[in-house]
Amino acid sequence: MALTTAESPAVRATETAGIPTKRRGSRRSSRREGIAGYVFLSPWLLGLMGITAIPMLLSLYLSFTSYDVLTPWNEVEWIGLENYRRMFTSDLSYWHSVQVTVMFALIAVPLKLAAALGVALLLNRERRGVGLFRGFFYLPSLIGGSVALAIVWVAMFNRDGAFNGFLHLFGIEGKPWVNDPDWALETLMVLAIWQFGAPMVIFLAGLKQVPIELYEAAAVDGAGRWRQFWSVTLPMLSPVIFFNLVLETINGFQGFTAAFVLSNGTGGPIDSTLMYTLNLYIKGFTEYEMGYASAMAWVFLIAIALITAVFFSTGRFWVHYSDGDDR
Amino acid sequence: MHPATPLAVVSQPTRDHRTAEAPYKLRRGLVAALILPLVLGMAACGGDDESSSPPADSNAPVELSIFYWGGEARAKMTDQALALYKSKNPNVSFKATWQANTGYFDKLATLTAGGDPPDIFQMDDNYLTEYAQRNVTADLTEYTKNGQLDLAKFPKSMVEYGTVDGKLAGVALGENTMGLVYNKTLVTKHGLQEPQTGWTWDQLITWAADLSTKTGGTIAGTQDPSADYKAFWVWIRQQGKDLYKGKELGFTAEDLAKWFELWKGARDKKATPTPDVIHEGNASDITKQLVVTGKAATSWVWVNQMPELKKNTKDELGVCAYPGDPSAQWGRASMYFSVFRNSSKKDAAVKFINWLVNDPEAVKILGTDRGLPSNLDLRTQFAQTVTDPAMKQSIEVENALAAKFGTAPQVPPKGHSTFRSELVKAAENVQFGRATPQKAAEDLLAVVKPKLG
Repeated sequence: MALTTAESPAVRATETAGIPTKRRGSRRSSRREGIAGYVFLSPWLLGLMGITAIPMLLSLYLSFTSYDVLTPWNEVEWIGLENYRRMFTSDLSYWHSVQVTVMFALIAVPLKLAAALGVALLLNRERRGVGLFRGFFYLPSLIGGSVALAIVWVAMFNRDGAFNGFLHLFGIEGKPWVNDPDWALETLMVLAIWQFGAPMVIFLAGLKQVPIELYEAAAVDGAGRWRQFWSVTLPMLSPVIFFNLVLETINGFQGFTAAFVLSNGTGGPIDSTLMYTLNLYIKGFTEYEMGYASAMAWVFLIAIALITAVFFSTGRFWVHYSDGDDR
Repeated sequence: MHPATPLAVVSQPTRDHRTAEAPYKLRRGLVAALILPLVLGMAACGGDDESSSPPADSNAPVELSIFYWGGEARAKMTDQALALYKSKNPNVSFKATWQANTGYFDKLATLTAGGDPPDIFQMDDNYLTEYAQRNVTADLTEYTKNGQLDLAKFPKSMVEYGTVDGKLAGVALGENTMGLVYNKTLVTKHGLQEPQTGWTWDQLITWAADLSTKTGGTIAGTQDPSADYKAFWVWIRQQGKDLYKGKELGFTAEDLAKWFELWKGARDKKATPTPDVIHEGNASDITKQLVVTGKAATSWVWVNQMPELKKNTKDELGVCAYPGDPSAQWGRASMYFSVFRNSSKKDAAVKFINWLVNDPEAVKILGTDRGLPSNLDLRTQFAQTVTDPAMKQSIEVENALAAKFGTAPQVPPKGHSTFRSELVKAAENVQFGRATPQKAAEDLLAVVKPKLG
C-alpha cells in the first residue's frame, strides 16, 4: 500500500498534464514485472520466512528465556539477560569453545587459502591433462562436509591408522592423533585444509581474468617471476582473495560436522575439539538448555557479522578493483 | 490512508480499472500466501496441548508410533513382537523407528519440541526424570489402578524405579545389572584364572596387569573405567555412600579423587591401556567396547548387552559382577517404555505395553535383549526354555547375582547426564596427565552441583 501512496501524486501529475500514456504504461508494466518477480521469488521467500526468518526471531526471543526443549516454547519463563550474563561471566566451557574455534579459524583458514592459491597457480598453466588434475584437486571439496569423510579421517588418524603406518616406513613413531587432546584439533585443521578445492577453483577463474599484456609489460620492464607474482598477480587477484577470505573465515567458524563425528558429539578428547557450534549443539540438544543455546547462537551471529565488517572496512586498503574507479 | 490513493484510482480511465486494481489484489493475495503457512507453522509449533479424548471404540483402527534405540538384533526382535501383536489386534498398526543410542535423545527432544513426539518411546534412567518432571511422559498410575496395566508380577523395585515424584513415568522393560565382561578365549589362552564375582578391586587390577604382561603389552588387562559412571557408582556404594542423596551428590571431591587414584595406580602397573585407547572405549557404542575391538581383555558393561557384544567378536566372552562386594549392585530397570502425555492414543498404547511385558509369547520373542523380563513368572518360564547361549548366560549371571543384590538407589535426578559427561572429561584429564585426581574431582563438582535438581 505504501508504494501506491508514495507514487500517486506523480500519477496525478501526469494525468493532469495530459502526458501520453506511454510512460504510465511502462510504469505499470514495470510494476507488473515487479510482482512477477515476487511470484517467482516466492518459493525462496517462503522458505526464507518460514524456515529461516521466523525461527531465527523465535530463537532471539528464546535466548531471553530458560527454554528447555521439552516444555512447550510458549510456556517458558522469561529470564531477561541471564543467559548472556552466564555466557560472559561464569561459563568456562563457553570461553574454552571460543578459544578452540578462534584457534581453528586462525590456523586453518590462511593455510587453506595458501594451499588453494598455490595449487591454482600450478594448475593455471596450459599443459596436457591439466583439466584432469583440476578435477582431482577439486574432488575432496565435493565430498567435503560429509560424515563419511570424517569417519574415514578418524580411521586414518588413530593409533593404528594408515597415517601412522606411513610414518612407520620412515621409522617415526606416530601419535594417536584423533584420540590425543593435544592433536585432535590439528587433525581437524588438516581435514579442513585438505578441502581447498572450492577456493582453488575460484582462484583459477580469477587467474584466467588477469590480462596477459600485464605480464608481457612486466617482463619487458625486466620483472622476474616472483616480481610478476607480487606486483601483477596478487593485486589483480585481490578481489578474489578477499571473496575467498570472507567466505572461508565464515566457513571456518562454523565448522561442525567433522568435530561432531570425530568426537562422537562430545567435543572430546577433553573438549579439545569443542568447536563453538558443537558446544551450542550440546547445550541445546543433550543438556536441554535451548534458551542458553539460542543466546549463544545470537552472540555467534553478531561476532561473525563484526568480523566480516572488519574485513570489509580493511578491504579498501588492499583490495584492488581494476575496472572500477579508484575511490 | 492517504487521500491521494482513492483519487488516483478513480482518475484512471475505466478500461484500465481492472488492471489498476489487479496489482493490489495480487499483492494482497501474495501477502496472504506468505502469511498463511507462517500461521499454520506457528500453530504446529504450539503443539497440541489439549489431549483429545481417547476414541471410545477400542476396535477403531489406530496407528501407534514407537521410537527406540538399539542395534539390529533388537530391531529384529521388536519387529517380530509388533507383528505378533498386529496379528492379534488387526485394528492396530505400528510406525516403529529405531536408531543407535548415540543421538537418540537429541532426536527425541527435537520430536518433542516439534510437537510431534511418538506415542511410545524408550527411555532410560538418565533422562527419565528430565522428561517426567517436564510432563512429557504420561502418568500411568491410573492405568495400574483400573487394571489396564498390570504390574503385579513385577519386582517392587522395578515399579518404584519408574516412579518420579509419585507418578509412574515408564514401564520397566527388563531388569539388568552391571557386568564385567571378559574375553574368555584370551584369558584361558594365557593360562590365567577367569575373573570371579567377589574379587576385590586390587585383585582385579593385579590380574589385569598380569594379563597385560602376558600379551606383551599388546592387549591391556582391562579398560580403565574411571570415566564410567556405573563403575564409580558401584564403587562408591561399596564405600557406604551413594551417587545421589535426594537432589544432591552423595559423595565428596575426596571420594572421587580416591577413585581416580585407584585407576592411576592401575595405569602405572600397565593394567589398563594408554589414554587414547581408553578414550576410544569410553564411547557408549557397544561396537567400540575394547573387549570386542580387541584392545583390552575386559570391559565394563550391562549384562543385557552380552548378546549384542557377542555379535561383534569371534572370541568367547564371560561375565561376572564388578569387583568388590556384589551387594553394591542392584537390579536396575534397563529401560522403559513411556507414553507421550498428550497422545490421543494413550489407551491403545498402554494396552500394547501391557501385552508386551505380560504376554508369554511376547516375552519369548524379546528375550533378555532389554534385560531380564520384568514379569517374574514369565522370567522363570523363559529361563527354562531359552536356547540362545548368550541370553542363557545373561540369565544365569543375573540370577546368581540377584541373590546378592542390595537395595536399589533412587532414580538419578535431573542433571545426571551432565554428571556423566563431566565424569568422562575429568577422568580423561587425569589420564592424560592434565590434572591431578584432586583437581579434576573438584572441577567436576563445581560444574555438576548447580545442574542438579
